[in-house]
Amino acid sequence: METDLWILLAGWLVATLRSATPLLFVTLGETLTQRTGVINLGVEGEMLAGACFGFAVAVTTGSPWLGLAAGALAGGTLSLLHAGLVLGARANQIGSGIAVWMIALGTTSYVGRGFVGQKVTPLPQLVGPGAGDGLLGVLFRQLTAPAPLAFLAVVLAAWWLANTRAGLAWRVAGESARVAAENGLRPTWIRLQAIVLGGLLSGLGGAVLSVDYTQTWAQEITKGRGLIAVGLVIVARWRPILVLPVCLMFGLAEVAVLRVQAAGVEASSYLIATAPYAAVLIVLVVGHRSARRSRTMPADLRSIFS
Amino acid sequence: MSAREGWITFAATLAAFLMLSAIFFLLLGKPPLEMGLSLVEFAFGDAYSLSETLAKASPILFCALAVAVPGRLGLISVGAEGQLYIGAITGTALVLGFPELPPLAMIPLMLAAAALGGAAWGLVPGLLRARLDINETIVTLILNYCAVLFASALVFGPWRDPANQGWPATAPFPPAAVPPAVDGKVHLGLLIGVLLALALHVFFTRGRAAVHIRILAGNRKVGRTFGLDFAFWVTALMATGGAIAGIGGIIEVAAIQGRLQPSISLGYGLTGFLVSWLARHRPLVILPIALLVGGLLAGSDALQLFAKVPAASATILEGLLFATALAVPGLIARWRRSDGN
Repeated sequence: METDLWILLAGWLVATLRSATPLLFVTLGETLTQRTGVINLGVEGEMLAGACFGFAVAVTTGSPWLGLAAGALAGGTLSLLHAGLVLGARANQIGSGIAVWMIALGTTSYVGRGFVGQKVTPLPQLVGPGAGDGLLGVLFRQLTAPAPLAFLAVVLAAWWLANTRAGLAWRVAGESARVAAENGLRPTWIRLQAIVLGGLLSGLGGAVLSVDYTQTWAQEITKGRGLIAVGLVIVARWRPILVLPVCLMFGLAEVAVLRVQAAGVEASSYLIATAPYAAVLIVLVVGHRSARRSRTMPADLRSIFS
Repeated sequence: MSAREGWITFAATLAAFLMLSAIFFLLLGKPPLEMGLSLVEFAFGDAYSLSETLAKASPILFCALAVAVPGRLGLISVGAEGQLYIGAITGTALVLGFPELPPLAMIPLMLAAAALGGAAWGLVPGLLRARLDINETIVTLILNYCAVLFASALVFGPWRDPANQGWPATAPFPPAAVPPAVDGKVHLGLLIGVLLALALHVFFTRGRAAVHIRILAGNRKVGRTFGLDFAFWVTALMATGGAIAGIGGIIEVAAIQGRLQPSISLGYGLTGFLVSWLARHRPLVILPIALLVGGLLAGSDALQLFAKVPAASATILEGLLFATALAVPGLIARWRRSDGN
């Protein structure tokens, strides 16, 4: 009886991890971008591009790994447009992000048409069926590589940002491009790197969503996850390590929605589907005041946020 | 920016956009000049095309005005899509609740209900921004997804007309709730939209409120020293924008679709955002741009039918137009700087 409970909990935990993984990559990418003082709403489009092209490559080549790589590349390529507009033409960052999103919406709905209903070879599970029916067996049998990879990426990024010279340079660029330039750093170059890294991670997140998590492609499959990521960056107070709990919370909300819908509760599945969005709004409201006063908010972002 | 510079930017943006569109059509394997000319013809060529264009321009106009109103204060609302859906829902609620109302009462009450719904949906990000300083862009974007889901929940659920045999839609609107129209798709809503644009132009250019809003948009701290209330204007303008999009939503439902369906808008919210941005939130400039972009949508619908151009072309072209409009002014400024040195 007791083990049943544990296995039930493990089931929830696995589902939450799987649901949170795509978002972890995107939110981490956006956090790093914003730390250099650039906001990118285009991550919604970059995630969409990653989901679409990643799925397409996974279907055509039969390799989910190539799909993930292609998705990351697609996101990174699209992010160059945001970089060009924002850094090259000094365009408004919010406007540029939405332009990137629009282009991705149209392009992926065109490219993705032929891939609706197609199937991908799934990624292998972390452990084989021989792992037994114990707690860890249940846990690892249902997990694929992206989940631990996302955790590793978050921890690594947090360490890198806090403890390396390059990480310091990124933080300085975010506080003030002027101060960074006065100290011999090249803020525009740093921001370009950060936008592209954010794009790669968002594309990867999108590809994980379509190739690994849902294993399907549908038009606008991301359903605002990239935009949610932009909101979650604020909740995480621009700290990579806090991206973990914040995204897990969203993952939990999404799993709860799926379970309630599957249980046939007497309520519209559409109504229940608003819960993750509502959850994000609630944490934004609860967390925003302190986030705004938080010392980790890059000073150059303030001009965009106010 | 002087008038001359404004025209240079405009011409350069247009030229760059036409070039990008030509490349886009070439990538699709279509002759660009022919495609461009047919697009214009399908958009404005004859009475039928023009009425299709005007039908598309109507929701775009409302959504653009809904973005422009808070935009005048420097707020970036991307919430027109959600406000349009909520307005459609509350307007439909009135029609379904009181189907026997006479025409003279029905349409004004239906519009009022839609305006109230849209205003409430705009009020949420408005209050969050005014009271808690939460960024309105992100809140409006997230609320859009909720509004679309609400409409689906109602249309797939309690509001579904059993006579539809499984097709998710409400019962058809009674004739009293259908706005009068000349020539099918050119309806009363368009007139309301144009009048709203004129009224907003007057409001934002004359009188004390216009000055207050301009000061606050320029510098909030200066505004505060003059005793101006930023929080009040954030709330009021966000709600007003929501009301406008809400009216646009119920008009689209009542005049074009005749009943509430799960999908009301074909991305009109984002398109309206683009239009308002191109017009720099000036209501009088929004009018012609909404018409042109309406033509772009209607024209590419027809191209899809007759020239097998993909359905997504309009969205891609809109995105390219937006990117061009964002890039050109900055590139001109950069070119001038390097030229001057």
